[in-house]
Amino acid sequence: MRNLCFSLVVLSLYACGPNKDAAEQAILDSVDSIAVETPEISEDVIADIIQQIPSPLEISVLLKESGSAYDYSMLNPDDMVSNYNNNFSKALNLGIYGTDLGYTNIYKENQDALGYIGSIRDLADGLNIGQFFDFNTIRKLATNSNNLDSLLLITTKNFNKINTYLQDQKRSNLSILLLTGGWLEALHITCQVYKKNPDNVVLKEKIGEQKIILEQIQLLLSLYESDPDIKNLSAQLKDLQGVFDQIEITTTYAESTFQEVDGVLMIVDNSTSSINITDQNVADITSITAAIRNNIIN
Amino acid sequence: MKKIIFTISFLSLLTLVAPSAFAQCDADEYAEACIPKLKDGFNFVKSYSVDGEGGSKAKVEYSYVFAKGTQYFINICSGGEETDGIVVSLYDSTRKLVSTSDANGKLYSAIGYPCNATGIYYIQFTFKGSANHCGGAVLGFKR
Repeated sequence: MRNLCFSLVVLSLYACGPNKDAAEQAILDSVDSIAVETPEISEDVIADIIQQIPSPLEISVLLKESGSAYDYSMLNPDDMVSNYNNNFSKALNLGIYGTDLGYTNIYKENQDALGYIGSIRDLADGLNIGQFFDFNTIRKLATNSNNLDSLLLITTKNFNKINTYLQDQKRSNLSILLLTGGWLEALHITCQVYKKNPDNVVLKEKIGEQKIILEQIQLLLSLYESDPDIKNLSAQLKDLQGVFDQIEITTTYAESTFQEVDGVLMIVDNSTSSINITDQNVADITSITAAIRNNIIN
Repeated sequence: MKKIIFTISFLSLLTLVAPSAFAQCDADEYAEACIPKLKDGFNFVKSYSVDGEGGSKAKVEYSYVFAKGTQYFINICSGGEETDGIVVSLYDSTRKLVSTSDANGKLYSAIGYPCNATGIYYIQFTFKGSANHCGGAVLGFKR
């Protein structure tokens, strides 16, 4: 009978699922310095909004294709990592470094990429999400520019996994900070490149388009304003939003058509959008973005 | 006593096995396996799990901000070569249908979308005569 009781207890414990989850959660709770109240909105809704935010890689590809030269001085130096001592700054700067890594990858600047990989490892470890990066594989890929596609793929996958994990762990606040940092860095780089290429209409419109993303980010941050750091960040971004509010995005709808090309259904988009953004708008966005970013990275 | 032990052991075993043996859909696996099927020249952005929960869920929806001047590509994957009745439809921010893979009397496994209007788009997966209501998809982009 004693054996039976013991077996049942063991089986029950095992059947209850991986107990490490509870322990892991306890550890995570203890190390997470951001004490936030869970927002009343469901995690699923938060996840839905988070996954709308486009990859900063899209901007890096645009910059490369616009012919702008690689410029490391626009990025956050990878040796700043020791300055980031709490989860708030670690998450924001992990996002920033993620964008910087994507930028260096797109330009095949492998040596710089290696520096960012090291900084990302340190920040990810500090946030207990280092397990999502296979740094040995990433380093190997980064040392050979022929592996660019694989490197981009693996780093994008890793960041996606981190976001999913943080949301599953009910740490969406960190996921939002990571995305905010990544987005802000991409906007900063775009503004800096535009400064040097003021005739580039595509870049100017790309800056104006960020109005849509900022609205989503502000919506997400507003859910966590019980945290003073997030509230402060959101207040800074409100200044930026004030400028974006002056920008008009007009969409003219027209029914799309389609055609089959090599077995793929290719949509022909007959709708168009136009962005009304002035030089003054861009100048204001550039300076406010730089100021917010400066607060984050220093 | 033996019967009690046998019954309890059997029930316990069932509790252990049930979550995996009766799992209907590993959509995450399909989503992961779909990544290499992204068309050449496109950069990977996201993979999507499409779990119709055995038919009880009529649609699975995601959203993403598409940008003017960028071409997007969505590939559907299921167990076999075909899409197993999984249909992807794209809606714009006002919920107007942009296009669907259910066209020309067949279900396409991939759609390409050169975007002309920046905004939030809804990527909706539905099922048409699907056997497993289970699959994955991948989103990529190129300029």
